[in-house]
Amino acid sequence: MSNIAGKVYAMNVITPIKWYRVWINRLIFWLAQTWVFRSKLNGLITLSLIHYARWAIVSPSQFPRLDESQPKETIKYTYMFFFSNFNGSWAQYVDSFHMSIPSGLNLFWHKNIKYPGSVPLQPFHSYITYNQIWTNHYYTAYPMAASNDVKAAQRIKADLLSFMSETKGLSAYDFREKYNGLIKARQNDISLMKCTPIVSLAAAEVEKRRARAAG
Amino acid sequence: MPNKSGNAYGMTLLCPIINGSKNHQSYADIIRDHLENLPLDSASPMAKVPNTYLCRFYVLNDVFYEGYPAKEEHLKSRYLVFSTNFHGEPDEYLQGMWSHALKEVREIWQYCVGFKAQGTADDFVAYMRKCQVDNALFFNGSTDDSLAEQLKSLYLKQEFSRFVYENEGASDEDLQNAFMEFVKRTDPENLNGPTWVPGHNE
Repeated sequence: MSNIAGKVYAMNVITPIKWYRVWINRLIFWLAQTWVFRSKLNGLITLSLIHYARWAIVSPSQFPRLDESQPKETIKYTYMFFFSNFNGSWAQYVDSFHMSIPSGLNLFWHKNIKYPGSVPLQPFHSYITYNQIWTNHYYTAYPMAASNDVKAAQRIKADLLSFMSETKGLSAYDFREKYNGLIKARQNDISLMKCTPIVSLAAAEVEKRRARAAG
Repeated sequence: MPNKSGNAYGMTLLCPIINGSKNHQSYADIIRDHLENLPLDSASPMAKVPNTYLCRFYVLNDVFYEGYPAKEEHLKSRYLVFSTNFHGEPDEYLQGMWSHALKEVREIWQYCVGFKAQGTADDFVAYMRKCQVDNALFFNGSTDDSLAEQLKSLYLKQEFSRFVYENEGASDEDLQNAFMEFVKRTDPENLNGPTWVPGHNE
C-alpha cells in the first residue's frame, strides 16, 4: 500500500451526493470549464504542485455492470470520485487547496453529504481523511521530477534547441554572450533533480522492508 | 470533453470484481495483494505501457457511511479502480497496454467480471471502455507532450544543469568546446536516446 511514488502523492477521495442534487454538481463542473467560474479556479493554476487531477461523478446506474451474474447495485447516493497527483505531503497539499481556492472547493464539493466547508481547516482535514482511500499500486514515469520540473524541462529543451542553432559558427566571445543570456533566461529552471526526500516515515519504512524482502 | 486536456487524457475505470474466492481468500483481496507486491518505478508493469505519465490502482471495497442522518448503504460488488493519465488517444493507449504488458494485464484483471484473459487486444479495449466512467473535470497542471518528449526534456534539464555548474568560471574557448561535447553526448534533438527510461529514479 503506497500513496507515494518518488515525489508524487496519490490522493483518492470518494464522497456521496443526494441524487436530486447531482445535476447542480454536474452543472458546476461544466461551468468550471467556462468563463463563469474561471475566477474561482484561478488559484488552481497557481497550485503548481499538481501534475494531473480529476473529478468523476458516478450515479448508481453508471457503476459498470458487465454480466447478468453480477448483482445490480442498489445504492441510492451518487458518488464523486476525486483523484489527484501532487508533489509534497498530504498536509501541504490540503492546506494549499484550502488557502488558494476555498470557494472553488466549496463549489466542487457543493452539498456533498456532511461536507463541512473548506474553512475552517480542521473539519475539512477530518472530512478528507475520513473519505480517503489508499492506493495499492502507484506509478509515475518520472519519480525524481516535480510538476515544476516537467514544465521547466520543457522550457529548457526549447531554449537549448534555439541556442544551438543561433550559436553555430560564432566566435568563443559571442558564444559566451549568448550563453550568459540563456542562463539568465532559464535561471529559475536550472537545478539538479535528486531522489525524493523522505516525505512519509511510514512509506520509507515500507520501502526499506520491501528492499530487504527482495534481498 | 472532460476526459481530455490538450493531448493529455485522464481515464477513470471501475472494473467490477467477481464475488468469489480462491483458497479462502476473496478475489478482491487476491487482487489487492497482487497490486501491493508489484515492483515499483522502472520495474512497474506500467513502465512498459507507452505514454503513461502517472497511474494508480486501488480496490474499492465499499462506499463510506457518513453518519446520521445520512443513509447507510453498501456496494454489491467490489471494484478495481484504475486511474491513468497519459498522452494520446484512449483506444491506442489501451492497445499499447495489451501489447506491451499482456502478462501483467492478465494477472491484474483475471478476477474481474467480463475480462477475457484469452481475448484479443480489441476485446480488451472494448472491455476497458465498458468499465470507463467519464470525468466531470480533468485538470492538467503539467504538460501534454508525449512521454518520450517529457523524458528527453527531463534528461536534458538534468544534464544541462550539471553542465552549467561544472563550467562555472571556464574560459570562453573552454566553454564553447565543452558545449559542443555536451551536444554530441546528449543529442538534444533525438528523442530515442540518450534519455531517461520510464520510472527512472536514481
